[in-house]
Amino acid sequence: MADFLLWLEATAMSTWLRESLSPLAFPTVLTLHTVGMGFLVGTNAAVDLRVLGVVSQMPLKPMERFFPVMWFGFGVNAVSGVLLLIAYPTKAVTNPLFYAKLTVIGLAVANIRLLKKHVFGDPGLDEKQIARKGKLIAGVSLLLWAGAIAAGRFLAYTYTYLRAADWATGL
Amino acid sequence: MDASLHSLRVWLEGTTLSAWVTGPIYVWPVLETLHFLGLSLLIGTIGLFDLRLLGMAKGLPPGLLSRLIPWGMAGFALNVLTGILFFVGEPKNYVNNIAFYFKMAFVVLAGINVLIFYLTVARKVEALGPGDAAPLGAKVIGAVSLLLWVGIMSAGRLLTFYHDHGLGRLIE
Repeated sequence: MADFLLWLEATAMSTWLRESLSPLAFPTVLTLHTVGMGFLVGTNAAVDLRVLGVVSQMPLKPMERFFPVMWFGFGVNAVSGVLLLIAYPTKAVTNPLFYAKLTVIGLAVANIRLLKKHVFGDPGLDEKQIARKGKLIAGVSLLLWAGAIAAGRFLAYTYTYLRAADWATGL
Repeated sequence: MDASLHSLRVWLEGTTLSAWVTGPIYVWPVLETLHFLGLSLLIGTIGLFDLRLLGMAKGLPPGLLSRLIPWGMAGFALNVLTGILFFVGEPKNYVNNIAFYFKMAFVVLAGINVLIFYLTVARKVEALGPGDAAPLGAKVIGAVSLLLWVGIMSAGRLLTFYHDHGLGRLIE
């Protein structure tokens, strides 16, 4: 594993992302990761709030048109996240919190699919009260995203090894 | 650095609040988590309203979609509060930081943009029903708002890289 990380960190891609003085390298990738998060979590949170009964006079079905905004944010963050991982792979994979973050995001994304199926899949959606199941999905969604954000923020401050060389000497 | 900014920095650094923000290891990431949650609420309410103005999800009446915005304003209040705490905690990272000044300028411009919205097309937009297109003026305001919020997020994220790069950089 340490050998693989040493190799990855020595690749041109990883080195450029980490060490380039160009603002297009690490700072831009980090910025995209933040903007993507805003659109993904923000859009999902707005749908969750409506499902939970905020502004219940507003029809819910048309909010489905905002789902591509969520997937756009997710796509931006999947790509920028992989690039951040390539830049500092050891920092991430030696921190248990990294795996917690990925797990929570996996659950949150699976939960979006549940929302789509169980809430938006109902043809009579705007003719009746939203079932408790739908509200549970929306509530869980808010908690999962808050957890993903917290894990992401703490990741920046709780790492043990920044680079593969540090890890190899620590082993 | 400007002398008054320098004395502000020195004074803030001596406060108990500053010591608390930079003290226990968990305080800063917790504040950041709250700052990011506030940001998400802003994008999820104001950002989606802007997208509706631009023609997305036209089935939603803007007059009802706008009622989600108080949640975004709560997020904004949270971000002003946590933002002030960041500033008090590490004033040296902000007083001479070009990205920070850009961010604040974008926030002010976003506020002016909202003011223009209320003074011009707000009533027309409020009266739109499902399926109605927003007037051109409202679309322009929506696009400007989206750009400014993306700019605010970007400048906010980038300010980590400009801790000691002041406005002088512009003319260097």
